[in-house]
Amino acid sequence: MHAIKAFLPLFVLPLAASAQWLDYPTKGIPRTTNGKVDLTAPTPRTPDGHPDITGLWVADNSRHLANLATDLKEVPFQPWAEKLYNERRGQGGKDDPEARCLPQGVPKVNTLPYPFKIMNMPGEVVILYEMYYLYRQIFTDGRDFPKEFLSPSWMGYSIGKWEGDNFVVTTAGVNEDFWMDTFGHPHTSALKVTERFRRTDFGHMEVNVTIDDPKAYTKPWGAVIKQHLLPDTELLEFVCEKNLDPQHFK
Amino acid sequence: MRSIGAIILVLSLGSIPVLAHHSFAAEYDSKKPVELKGALISLEWVNPHAWIHIEVKDETGKAAKWDCELGSPNLLLRNGWRKDSIKPGDVIIINGSAAKDGSNIANARTVKFADGTRVFNAGSSGDPGAPGAPTQ
Repeated sequence: MHAIKAFLPLFVLPLAASAQWLDYPTKGIPRTTNGKVDLTAPTPRTPDGHPDITGLWVADNSRHLANLATDLKEVPFQPWAEKLYNERRGQGGKDDPEARCLPQGVPKVNTLPYPFKIMNMPGEVVILYEMYYLYRQIFTDGRDFPKEFLSPSWMGYSIGKWEGDNFVVTTAGVNEDFWMDTFGHPHTSALKVTERFRRTDFGHMEVNVTIDDPKAYTKPWGAVIKQHLLPDTELLEFVCEKNLDPQHFK
Repeated sequence: MRSIGAIILVLSLGSIPVLAHHSFAAEYDSKKPVELKGALISLEWVNPHAWIHIEVKDETGKAAKWDCELGSPNLLLRNGWRKDSIKPGDVIIINGSAAKDGSNIANARTVKFADGTRVFNAGSSGDPGAPGAPTQ
């Protein structure tokens, strides 16, 4: 049986590879007369009048991946959190779980240099993240959080609703096994993240993130992470399958 | 022909920011730039980082193996690389930053052929702490 299992991936792999499109024109999107995507065209809307946030997006730069608090003068740390943050910074961020192929978690998934795909489904919004093959289900069917988070997780539990032109996502029930950025801002399982997705025009979107974790910070703080649309391409598979990095270093 | 395809891809998909996975600062020293010229031993097309292994000869002709970290395969694909863009035996020149621990390891920023004709943006050197990357 083991031998059969071992050989299966050999047959599956070529199929997976051919199912990916690096460069393929996206249909039904506004283009200028020379065929270029009109990234400053108006924000598209769904039949119910809300902005349509579906599409392939990626962060404009890695500023907030490095440091989620990069735009702030000071971070309202609780003393223990500041001590841990300084330790992580002092070690150059070498113990970031992401470097061991573990999921980035919420909110870090908004800051990555790889695309994510937002899909608007009945009763939920699904986001597929290229990096490390992650996904989120953001329920929009009116449910509240479960009474108890039986199994705190990397991506947490997410519910979403529209407030004007903002798609507002609240996430709780995360585990404590990821860092919120490469610099190592800590959090606890009490973390509640609010993400306000606002598509400002056809090619641009802002994700306004609020960190509310009274066990680690004395008051909420956050960042606005700018994203741009990636037309004419698709997600590529990104399984973090063979981390050679550690074995190359002494 | 491959080089033309690569250039077009770089131009049309150049809006993706350079990769950042793990902390550059933890492993590499931006103040230790290196230029390595040698024959390719192998290209490991794996996540989260591809690696180039090359044989570099010093002035006396003594050969040493160097391991150079690149971006992920997806980043390389979007920047115009293909798995066969460089082949074992090709002489290449790598510019990047050396490892902090003094071993024969570098983070590649650019990779070009010995005749200088093709230059790719290679690396994971956009990681926090790398030259030009955010520090605050």
